[in-house]
Amino acid sequence: MELADRAVGFLLSITSLSIFTYYTFWVIILPFVDSDNFIHNYFLPQEYAILIPVCAGVALLCLLCIFIGLVLLKSKKKKA
Amino acid sequence: MKHVLKLFSLLVVISALWIGLLQASIIPRSHTWLLPIYFIVSLGCYGLLMVGVGLMRFPTCPREALLLQKDIAEAKDFLKQKGVDVGSD
Repeated sequence: MELADRAVGFLLSITSLSIFTYYTFWVIILPFVDSDNFIHNYFLPQEYAILIPVCAGVALLCLLCIFIGLVLLKSKKKKA
Repeated sequence: MKHVLKLFSLLVVISALWIGLLQASIIPRSHTWLLPIYFIVSLGCYGLLMVGVGLMRFPTCPREALLLQKDIAEAKDFLKQKGVDVGSD
């Protein structure tokens, strides 16, 4: 079973590192590159660099609130 | 309460630094506006990385697991002899 654990941990770290490098490139390095370079084909337009984290954060908050609401409802039903 | 105060003071310091950066305009304007979001994303990434690394280095102690199983079997036998119901086997 520790092999499965190790594989999941490895996958998580690789995902986090790739997200970090992609985002760093996107936000910090890309504005300094000329706009007709080939590298721009691999990156979405700059507005998405703000939209995607904000949307993800809002979705996370919504999920948290829904979860808390469900747990509260269930506990109230059990008491009544 | 003290931990919340520490976090709050840290937040105030960081926002003061950010506003100072905005005023001094050492870095180009567009970069300064994107800095808070960048830091939040990198903090999330760091948390994920720590979870992944912790998972990879988790110790399993196979010898202690074996000893524990033996202890459980011994305790079950003892209790069964004394007449206690030890449940499913």
